[in-house]
Amino acid sequence: MKKPQSKPYWNPYFAGLMLGLLLLMTFFIMGRGLGASGGEMRLVTYILSLVSPEHAQANPYFAKYLKGGSPLKAWLVFEILGVLFGGFLSGYIHGRLGFKTDHGPRISNKGRWLLAFLGGMTMGIGARIARGCTSGQGLTGGATLSLGSWIFLWVMFIAAYAFAYFLRKQWI
Amino acid sequence: MIAPLYKLGYFGFDTSLIFAFIIGLLFGYILESSGFGNSRKLAYQFYLKDMAVLKVMFTAIVVAMVGLLYLNWAEILDISLVYVPPTILNGQILGGVLMGLGFVIGGFCPGTSLVASAIGKLDGMFYVGGALFGMWIFGEIYPFVQNFINGHPMGRVTLPEWLGWRPGVVAFLVILMAWGLFKVAELIEKKFGEIIEGETPME
Amino acid sequence: MHEVTIVSGRHNHLIDPYLTIWHWQIPTYLFLGGLVAGLLFFSALYYLRGKEEEYPAIVRLGAIWAPILLAIGMFALFLDLDYKLHLFRFYMTLRLKSPMSWGAWTLITILPLSILWAMLHITSVFPKWRWPHPVFQSVVSYTQKKSKLLAWILMVLSMILGMYTGILLSAFNARPFWNSAILGPLFLVSGLSTGLAFLMLLSKNHEEHLLLNKIDLMTISLELFFIIHLFMGLLASSEVKIQAAKLFLGGPYTASFWVLVVGLGIIIPAILETLEISNLGKRTRVAAVLILFGGILMRFIFVQAGQLSSF
Repeated sequence: MKKPQSKPYWNPYFAGLMLGLLLLMTFFIMGRGLGASGGEMRLVTYILSLVSPEHAQANPYFAKYLKGGSPLKAWLVFEILGVLFGGFLSGYIHGRLGFKTDHGPRISNKGRWLLAFLGGMTMGIGARIARGCTSGQGLTGGATLSLGSWIFLWVMFIAAYAFAYFLRKQWI
Repeated sequence: MIAPLYKLGYFGFDTSLIFAFIIGLLFGYILESSGFGNSRKLAYQFYLKDMAVLKVMFTAIVVAMVGLLYLNWAEILDISLVYVPPTILNGQILGGVLMGLGFVIGGFCPGTSLVASAIGKLDGMFYVGGALFGMWIFGEIYPFVQNFINGHPMGRVTLPEWLGWRPGVVAFLVILMAWGLFKVAELIEKKFGEIIEGETPME
Repeated sequence: MHEVTIVSGRHNHLIDPYLTIWHWQIPTYLFLGGLVAGLLFFSALYYLRGKEEEYPAIVRLGAIWAPILLAIGMFALFLDLDYKLHLFRFYMTLRLKSPMSWGAWTLITILPLSILWAMLHITSVFPKWRWPHPVFQSVVSYTQKKSKLLAWILMVLSMILGMYTGILLSAFNARPFWNSAILGPLFLVSGLSTGLAFLMLLSKNHEEHLLLNKIDLMTISLELFFIIHLFMGLLASSEVKIQAAKLFLGGPYTASFWVLVVGLGIIIPAILETLEISNLGKRTRVAAVLILFGGILMRFIFVQAGQLSSF
């Protein structure tokens, strides 16, 4: 059998159109938008509630997610479960599965992993402070013309450009 | 008005979780097909080499925004029942700065890192681990910072309400702005472009 | 303040009997029983067709794993018994009208036969294998002569074993959700498909993997068809059964069943298998893992939900 080649990525405008239609469909069906970090927050709360239920209950932020049954029985949790498998299916169909690490030529795999972890941590804290990530605030808030989300979106883009210089060795 | 279906009681919470999964499947599929499982492609946005993030994001925002306004105008979807992320200035500005920083350090946002992990990207998995860890830290320090990050709350406020303009006018300006950004993005890509068009097959 | 008007004594604790008495042991056994039925059926089938060289995982590895998994499953079943010392009573009687009696006798016949079947294949899997006593060798030689007969018996018994995991549940008249004739065939095809998935994980040979994919695609399509029929049947029945079906159609089991069991355990594997068969994607074990996950979850959910559904 000949080896399947990776197919090219979609044209970004086409991808944007598809994403916009999906977002619109979500508004139509659910009256809410897409998200990602909210689902991860519930996973964190669930793990914490297994490790130390009293501690989780005592903290006002975690306790909020523990009200009303399992923190995992939530819309965003099922949505990110779908995201994982949807991404997997696309990767499978387009021949893009494989254990690898993406980075620029001037950094090692291990360096990239460390920065990925630190970046994820920064993003995790930031996403909870902003009450949503690029999907929850950017896409959903952007399309519903939320004032705060538009402020957030610009702040995030500008900050990323401002900090980009200091991290150039990781990428270029 | 027949939508939003869920808010108008066409089905209950338990059933809505099935829709959550299906919508998530499509979301993940689209993100991966756009190349957003590749951290280099995402990060190149901030080195002016590949403007796909901006193009995808603003196209999606424009399409969904126009669709929402149209469906509301056609009396199909009641826009007042649609969730609008509330405006809380302190949180959104501080969070935005941290997330901009996190984006260039980590190379993903939370949604794209999930997709990257799903196709086997190791940096994506480290990123997800970091994000979960960061969220745990946030929960632990929340009691001390809640006053600040919840500062300047303005509730559910949209750009048209805040400006006192008609939604159509604002939408038109957003479209104009997006069109301008796309033009600039094309120019930048022509000058500095180094677009990543696909994944090299694995050995 | 939430006020409750008491109109019946049934509000009192334990006036209604305690109904959810089956915990993890029964679903674990149902899962392993179905899986072993699948392993034995296909091992015997392809042995009779003389394909043990072509499809070594199906015929040989399946045969070796079957008694091990069956023993674990039977141990789980044993743990469920409240009066463990009374186990022998199952074998003091044969009641043709009782599915538990059928099951008990099937299990006690199939376990030794599957051990014999495994012994037959062990030397070709582990060439260095030596029997500790010549008695074993003579047993194997004797079985070798009757191997075709044994294969036929195992095929029939594995079908009964697979069916029985569902019929055990459907024989409970007092549990409207289980009381459906379709549960037997449903559990049988689901068991066959988990068996196939298990073989997919064992198989190292591309042709064999593709064959397993094809058979499995048929089985899970059939499974999906039976699931839809199960709900159509329940919905077309009396009010209690409609209520039972609603546990899955808007009730508390809706998301876990349709997303995790049907979505992740059937539909996504079906997509992956179709792609792999039509050469659009390379070989992956993900489908097999998902089918096993969906199979075990389905049994847990069915056992729990069935106990919740009552008159």
